[in-house]
Amino acid sequence: MTRGDTPFSFPLLTERRCDTFHSETEEKTMSRPVDLVQGTLDLLLLKILALEPQHGWAISQRLKQVSGDVLQVSDGSLYPALHKLEQEGWIASEWRPSENNRRAKFYSLTRLGRRQLEKESAIWQRLSGAISLVVQLPEA
Amino acid sequence: MVTRVLAYLRGLAHRRRIAGEVDDELRFHIEQEVDAHVARGVPRGEARRLAMRDLGGLSHTRESVRDVRTIWLDLWWRDLRYAIRALRRTPAFTATALTVLTLSIGVSTAIFSVVDAVVLRALPFDESDRLVAVGERSISDSTPGARHMATPQNFFDWREQQDVFTGLAAVAYGGLTLRREGDELPVNLHAPMVTADFFSVLRVRPVLGRAFTAEDEAAGPAGVAVISYGVWQRRFGGSTDVIGTLLPVQRGSFEIVGVMPPGFSFGADEPADVWVPYIAGDDERVRGNTIGRNLHVVGRLREGVAVEQAQAGMDQITAGLAAETPAWFTDRVAHVEPLQQSLTRGVRTWMFMLLAAVSLVLLIACVNLANLMLVRGATRVRELGVRAALGASGWQLSRVLLLESLVLSVTGAALGAMVAWWGVEILTSAMPADTPRLSTIAIDFRVLAVTAVTGVVTGLAFGWAPVLRFSRPVVTGSLHQRAPTIGGRGAPPRLRGTLIVAEVALAVVLLVGSGLFLASFARVIEVDLGFDHRDVLTVRIRVLEIPDDRQRFSERNRGLLLNVLERVRSIPGVEVAALAGGALPLRGDLQTVNLAIPGRVLPRNTDIDFNVVSPDYFTAIRVPLLAGRFFTDADVRTSESVVILSEAAADRYFPGEDPVGKVIQVSGRRTVVGVAGNVRQDGPEGGWRTQAFVPFTQSAVSGATLLVRTAPAAGAGVLPAVRQAVWIEFPDTEIPIRVDEQALGEYLAALVAQRRFSMLLLALFGGLGLIIAAVGIYGVMSYRVTQRTQEIGVRMALGARPSSILSSVLRATVAHLAVGLTIGLSGAWVLAELVEGFLFEVRPHDPAILAGVVSILAVTGLAAAFLPARRAAGLDPLVALRTE
Repeated sequence: MTRGDTPFSFPLLTERRCDTFHSETEEKTMSRPVDLVQGTLDLLLLKILALEPQHGWAISQRLKQVSGDVLQVSDGSLYPALHKLEQEGWIASEWRPSENNRRAKFYSLTRLGRRQLEKESAIWQRLSGAISLVVQLPEA
Repeated sequence: MVTRVLAYLRGLAHRRRIAGEVDDELRFHIEQEVDAHVARGVPRGEARRLAMRDLGGLSHTRESVRDVRTIWLDLWWRDLRYAIRALRRTPAFTATALTVLTLSIGVSTAIFSVVDAVVLRALPFDESDRLVAVGERSISDSTPGARHMATPQNFFDWREQQDVFTGLAAVAYGGLTLRREGDELPVNLHAPMVTADFFSVLRVRPVLGRAFTAEDEAAGPAGVAVISYGVWQRRFGGSTDVIGTLLPVQRGSFEIVGVMPPGFSFGADEPADVWVPYIAGDDERVRGNTIGRNLHVVGRLREGVAVEQAQAGMDQITAGLAAETPAWFTDRVAHVEPLQQSLTRGVRTWMFMLLAAVSLVLLIACVNLANLMLVRGATRVRELGVRAALGASGWQLSRVLLLESLVLSVTGAALGAMVAWWGVEILTSAMPADTPRLSTIAIDFRVLAVTAVTGVVTGLAFGWAPVLRFSRPVVTGSLHQRAPTIGGRGAPPRLRGTLIVAEVALAVVLLVGSGLFLASFARVIEVDLGFDHRDVLTVRIRVLEIPDDRQRFSERNRGLLLNVLERVRSIPGVEVAALAGGALPLRGDLQTVNLAIPGRVLPRNTDIDFNVVSPDYFTAIRVPLLAGRFFTDADVRTSESVVILSEAAADRYFPGEDPVGKVIQVSGRRTVVGVAGNVRQDGPEGGWRTQAFVPFTQSAVSGATLLVRTAPAAGAGVLPAVRQAVWIEFPDTEIPIRVDEQALGEYLAALVAQRRFSMLLLALFGGLGLIIAAVGIYGVMSYRVTQRTQEIGVRMALGARPSSILSSVLRATVAHLAVGLTIGLSGAWVLAELVEGFLFEVRPHDPAILAGVVSILAVTGLAAAFLPARRAAGLDPLVALRTE
């Protein structure tokens, strides 16, 4: 399960939790961002948190707003994803009062998370660039 | 990875809290969302429904989050249970592994707790790392074990001139006897004499009363005393009235001015009962004088001063003193070293040696377990292959294998801690009584932490072998594998062989060490001491002494002592009784005087041992007469002054001549009347000393030891009568009723105690190492036979004789043994030279020991391999062929 071991070759289809052997865990299907290319949600969340620490609701608003409502992330997928990032140690959380003075859980990027963000965005850039090239091939 | 594990552990620790937090977080989200909808004009009920819908159902989302959180835990937990189940399926393997681990970790823990308490742990003083010992060192003498002490005037000069310490204090060891009071018998007390600032240098404050002041140091003979917490509790019941009470001792009494906190004790020696001020005599205040007490000097380094700088400062002072008193300082330098190092001197190297030996045992155990795990892993290739085929990654397979090792080693460590608990009790009771800080040895949190770490490290150390080998099985190959096929699969024979070789090599090193120390001990106890220590009681008598009129009291004491001697002689069961003033063989005390021979030029400061004895001294301890005569009752104060020399002294100063009749100068001019046989004054490992003996009647008397030779084993019966005889004249003398505290033989036992202790432990470790290695060889060979069952069946079916099967199985072992023995011998060859200084009359490369070790290991190794080999030879070919 060490991420460093497996070359990060194809982020579009990364299935990180490759516990194929432990089949019983697979029965409990995890909520995944169905309308998003798998794996890219992490990248988006890391990027948003890189701007400033936020709580979950603000993140979901931000996601919709920045992407002009193109990227539909169900709120139900958001929280498992956040918790997974926290588990990985890429983001950290802290309880403090929100803007309207309610107790909210704020997430922020860790040093490790920043490194991960750089890595993932580089790969994303390369891949999306490559895909654009293919897509833009002039048809005969 | 580390961050992940930490985050995970955090999650584990707060699992329940996290569940609550997830609820809080989701509730917050919904509230925000509802507010947002309401702000846009949606009715509250509808807004709530929308928010819930977007979240995909509260409970579902909560579950999903929890899945993320717990998945790790589940995986580990399941693997752990799997590992435990797998271990329980193979009870023989598990029991063997656990026994090996429990013993090796238990023994290591016990030894570590001893080394930690005696050597490693910081001294119990404030900023103890700034405390140093200062002493004189002779340039020519570099005895590693010696603690460096100082003569009084040097200490005074140092204290006066130094600027590197915040304080410099001195201790001289001494004793007092508490006088008989009512029914209470006299009691000997350890009573170190200390300079006034001793307590302030160590930064220890009395719990009651005060410490010493500079005035106390200058006061007259009847002075003040500070008592230990123990004495305060035992003798004074912890009463606060104790301050001002008089402590009745033989030379007057001391007024108690303070009580020290519990547990306060300085130095390696037995805990002090009472401290009295050190008051230097006039004869001790002469620069360059050799007369005087040996002082232990302790200083506290000034802020920012390192030991090296302190040494440089002291060198400068010594150089100045040397210029003033050249003869005294020609080969003497001041020596500064950390106090801890100085106090643990003498045991430090022994302790580390024991630790090294026990580490070797642990290492053998690790190699052995690596080997067994490898064998075990090989029987599971197929299972691991299935797992891999189902998609388990290398890390997951490693985790399964590693967890097994860790379960074993952590269980072993827990059991080992129990063994250690029990082992420490045995160790402390067997250890030499003069071991520093003996009473502080215990299994504490610090030791248990080390044990826990040892457990995990051990597990990882022996767990790597199967991981390395099996975590990436070739899926197809291992699935096709049916039974172990001809030639064997699984662990590569090379790795397995290497581990056997390593085990044998380590065992050779350990056993050679054990052998060398066993042989040394055997030689030590065989040493001819020059006298017979058996059945001799020794009763030390402290006599009354009033410094004002030494002459008169010396006469009086001599008379009283001779009365005692007369009485003791008439006790039934006493064969010979004698008196010795001052030094006694084996007791570690020594008195020297300057020797001069008229008409001869001897080197400056030629010293000779000075003993004052009654005529029967030599017959009492059975020292032979080599020339001339012993003393008689005719040698009295008024007759000619006489002296007897030891053989070594006669040979040194009168080589090739007859010393009898010569005149020498030892405490006055005396005529040599006899030569006595040599005596090992310092014990079996000491050399012959040059000694002079003068009659008891012709010397000042300041205390004496009564020596009583009894009929064999009659000591206990005679002792009560001896006590009474002494008490008639000296009622305030403590005489323990236990014979073993009084026998000359006990001094010998104490002298060889450290050697005996180390020898016993090393022998134990050697045995343990041997057994573990044998278990390893047996395990691997049995496995190989099992693996080759089919092949052996084929061979036998084709007509191979059992004997050829037997030899083919044994041949592999012989090869491994030979390589292991060779490597081990070369290692032992080098390492033995390191311990040469600790050996006694045994050469580090003693051929008999090396040959013995080789044969023991060869026989053990072959025996361990023979059992499985015989099983192979006895196989029924039909059964063997069918085996899968």
